[in-house]
Amino acid sequence: MRHRVRGKMSGHSTWPEWVYVGVVVALLCYVGAEAWNIERIIEHVPEDAKLIKVEGQQWLWTFEHEDGTKEIGELHLEKGKAYKFEVTSKDVIHSFNIHDYTVLMDAVPGRINTVWFSPNVAGEFDIQCREYCGLIHYNMRGTLIVEDKGA
Amino acid sequence: MKVIIGLGIVLALLVVLPSAQYVLAAGDSTGEYLDRRVEIWGLFYRLMIVAFTVGTVVSGLIVWLVLRFRESNPKAKPTSYEASGSW
Repeated sequence: MRHRVRGKMSGHSTWPEWVYVGVVVALLCYVGAEAWNIERIIEHVPEDAKLIKVEGQQWLWTFEHEDGTKEIGELHLEKGKAYKFEVTSKDVIHSFNIHDYTVLMDAVPGRINTVWFSPNVAGEFDIQCREYCGLIHYNMRGTLIVEDKGA
Repeated sequence: MKVIIGLGIVLALLVVLPSAQYVLAAGDSTGEYLDRRVEIWGLFYRLMIVAFTVGTVVSGLIVWLVLRFRESNPKAKPTSYEASGSW
């Protein structure tokens, strides 16, 4: 009669391997939980955020403020206030990006995507398209002008 | 097997529950002004630390295994199978 002895099949003790697997699983849990948590926090828009409608088209950006004011290629915002962007597109898929403020959201025809941020540094910053959208994609740029009204 | 299951439960209690508590508690502070740059780049650096730590441990372990268990290692001993030709 053949008896199974612990560790006999592998020829060695297996507990270090299980500890190793456990540590890897724990790290994966941490990575997943942390990423999910941060994404949830940064997606939660403050109640007093002002709405800006952003429309991409080949090859320029149009912005519409809450009061109906429209801007093309330039966006004027106030330092220290929160803004919620509703991003969409007129023609093909673009991607609205303010690199210096880590704002990035796809502009998809027939769909409204939202992203919010609060500029905390006054100055001029680049707005650019981050999704290849045709011949002049490289020049589909704009300027974000953050004004410090309190200064 | 009981040891493995026990170890799994202990790890779950040590990792999963604190993580869930941490995530749910963070929900109370959302909706406030925050700096996306700080949050996103902070997350990136934390995850990079995890990734490089795992990479270092795994590659270090592989290097150690290859060197320690090579046939030419003076400490190498034949396994019972290699020595006797049977289990």
